[in-house]
This record gives sequence, C-alpha cells and structure tokens, in this order.
Amino acid sequence: MSNQFIYLSILVATIGTYFCRAFGVFSAKNIKADSQIFNWIKCVSIAVISAVIARIILFPVGVLSETDATVRIISTIILLAVYFSFKKNVILAVLTSAICFVLLNHYL
Amino acid sequence: MFSSQSFKDGVKQAIGVPALGLGSSMFAFGAFLHSAGFDIYQSFFSTFFTFALPGQFVMAETILAGGTLLNVFLAVLLTNSRLYPMTVNIIPVIRDSQTPKWKQYLGAHFIAVTSWFNMFAVHKSIKQQEKFDYFIGLGGFLWANSVLCTVAGYLFSNLVSYEILIGLVFINPMYFLVMTVSNLKEKKMICSIFCGAILSVLLNDVFPGWSILIAGIIAGSLGYFIFKDEVYE
Repeated sequence: MSNQFIYLSILVATIGTYFCRAFGVFSAKNIKADSQIFNWIKCVSIAVISAVIARIILFPVGVLSETDATVRIISTIILLAVYFSFKKNVILAVLTSAICFVLLNHYL
Repeated sequence: MFSSQSFKDGVKQAIGVPALGLGSSMFAFGAFLHSAGFDIYQSFFSTFFTFALPGQFVMAETILAGGTLLNVFLAVLLTNSRLYPMTVNIIPVIRDSQTPKWKQYLGAHFIAVTSWFNMFAVHKSIKQQEKFDYFIGLGGFLWANSVLCTVAGYLFSNLVSYEILIGLVFINPMYFLVMTVSNLKEKKMICSIFCGAILSVLLNDVFPGWSILIAGIIAGSLGYFIFKDEVYE
C-alpha cells in the first residue's frame, strides 16, 4: 500500500462520510421538529444505532473480531446488569464491562 | 449571533464520560493504525476529516485487505450511512430560523453517535437560539479530543498491551449501548431499538453490507407506525 493510495483512501472516505452528513442537512431543510416525519426519522435513527451495536457485539470487523463472541456477550450482560443495578451509573457500567472484557479475553 | 456561553456549556457537557468513551476508542484506533503501518499524518487526517470511528476502521481494513478506492468509498459510505437519518433528525432540533446554511453544513461534521445522544439528552433545557452553539461546543470538543486521542494512540501504542487496546476499542460500543438503553422510555423507541438489534443480526448473512440500514429502516418504521398514537412527555 503506497502512501499516495492511503491519502486518496482518506479523501474518498471523507467524501463518503461527509456526503451522509451534508445530504442529511439538505434533506432536513423543510422538516420541522414537531412533525410526524421527524418522529419517524428519530425511530429510524435509534434503530440504526441499535443495529450497529448489535452487529459490533455479534459480528464485529477489525480487532474485535479476534475476540470470543461469548466474552463479548458476557461483557455486554455485565454492562447492562451494572447499569440498571447502580442507579444508571454510566461510567461505572462501561468501565466494569471493559475491565471484565479484558480479563475474560485473557483468561478464557 | 454566536453565544460563547452556550458554546462553553456544550464543551462542559462533552468533558468527562462522553470524551472518555469516544477518546479511548480513538486512542486504540491510533494504536491500530501504527501497528498496521500507517504514518502519523494519515492517522491525524483520518479522524480530522471523517470523525466516524466505525467507518475509519472499515477504511483501514479495506486498505489492508487490498481493496480499491471504489471499495473504500462504498464500504465507508455504507458503514457511515447511519449519519444520514441522525443528521436529518438533529438539525431541525438544534437550528433556528436565523442559523445560516453554512453553519449547518459546518456543524454537521460534528454529528456522531456520542454528540447526537448527548445533545438529545439535554436539548429541552436549552433555549432554541442557543442550541446550535451548544452543539458546536459539544461536538467540536469531542471532535478535537478524538483527533488528539488518535495521535496519542499512535505515539504511545508501545506503552499499552494489545489486550488493553482491544479493551479500549470495546468501550465505545458499550458506551453507545448504555446511551441507547437510556432511551427505553417511549414504546416506539423501545420497539425500534429491539427490532433494530434483532433484524440486524437476522439480516447479517442475507445482506452483509446493507443489513444495518435495512434493519434500521424496517425497525424504525415498525416502532413508529405501531405506536404512532402514543403520547409521551
């Protein structure tokens, strides 16, 4: 992989990413925050994010794909258990889950 | 008119858990680029210009797998397509009639899952004319912090073991998940979240590249239409 190719890849990745954002601004031109289409898009947005998370946990690409699916699922359950058990403490839940993930990866 | 107080308030909200959640994974991304043979400028530019971590990982993986520029473009476009509905959703909330177009297109660069969730968490308590500058402070700080963390990850990757780096990558989806379940209040959101997760898993083998987008559209539409008449304050 040449340096020039990597820079060109960053350029096309930038265009692809910014297109999603810029087209979103363009599409939002006539949408009001109290309209029905706004509520539908909000549901689609949260569903897309939920779909992304499920895919990262169960079918990750990149470095996470080298880890065991069981470890990822157990760590996710620990996250939710801590979050709901400790008054929805975000940082405690995330850190506990990440530490368990590292330890389970090491020992299992 | 620019409200520096709103901007500062946005920065304040970003400092802490949001910056830590995103920054740790950006640190791991910088370390990953180092080990994969990218140089520090490429690491810097990747976060500076794209600021969307899943797409950045996909870009690097596609390059390493020997993909063409078209492969990179399509893979990143599909991975980051979630930003489209998120942008359509957040722009009407944060702008007012005075917000110029250029500012909206510039501010759009700071739209990411972390800034989106955090803005929606507080927007009702902010005056309409101050929301955009608040968002620029919130998203802009997360973006600058992400650029710095990517470079730091690149520079200090030798000081952190590979197992810890994988743990840092895992922090971001866990943070996303906590922010998502914090929205389990309205029935239409609950339905959209559960259907989105289940459908993306079911569709993964059928439409590998498109499963997230298709799952999101179907699940969001189900949630919306089934609970259309739900009243929630």
